[in-house]
Amino acid sequence: MIKVLFFGVIAEKLKRHDMELPVQTGMTVADVVHAAGCEDFKPLLVAVNQTQANDLNAPIQVGDEVALMPPFSGG
Amino acid sequence: MDSIRIQQDDFSIEAEVDALREKSKRIGGIATFLGCARDFSEGRNVFSIEFEQYAGMAEKALFALRDEALVRFDIIEARIIHRVTTVHAGDQIVLIVVGAEHRKAAFEACEWLIDELKKRVPIWKKETTPDGESWVTEHP
Repeated sequence: MIKVLFFGVIAEKLKRHDMELPVQTGMTVADVVHAAGCEDFKPLLVAVNQTQANDLNAPIQVGDEVALMPPFSGG
Repeated sequence: MDSIRIQQDDFSIEAEVDALREKSKRIGGIATFLGCARDFSEGRNVFSIEFEQYAGMAEKALFALRDEALVRFDIIEARIIHRVTTVHAGDQIVLIVVGAEHRKAAFEACEWLIDELKKRVPIWKKETTPDGESWVTEHP
């Protein structure tokens, strides 16, 4: 399984802050975005294990923490 | 006090400047940036601003920013404190303090740090306005 985290407007629209997903062979960031129903959020920022990973082809492994995030607005 | 912090509580600019000055007697110029909550944004009143962070990653990103600033600019020390809580007009939100031998590097690093913080640190703000709540999507 992997843990998927949602933040900001994405969490609000999905009405959840996290979910778990089973890992498929050859799974990529793009597959997680699709499985989490986040394809329509643009721009969408992604972090894998707390490091930004905006390559949608990056591989996902068991135990990864994937964050799907709107653009940052701190400061 | 740690030089990089994300906290709910307010902070003291004087205490942070003092802590920075404690680091080195070679510091000859200190630049600060203080971000405060406004009562008006995007053409409407703002009653309050609520912050959300990606705990862990946000702090990691701040440490990475400071480390990069120390390499990119001729500075001696930098401190970054960001509040994650609900704030109201006039409240302090973020403080950057940079110490260098000379002012130019301190000013440049301070501006770079706040610009990059807005791009790289996973913190979001939601404003409460007369029309309801709305997430801020831009970082001008």
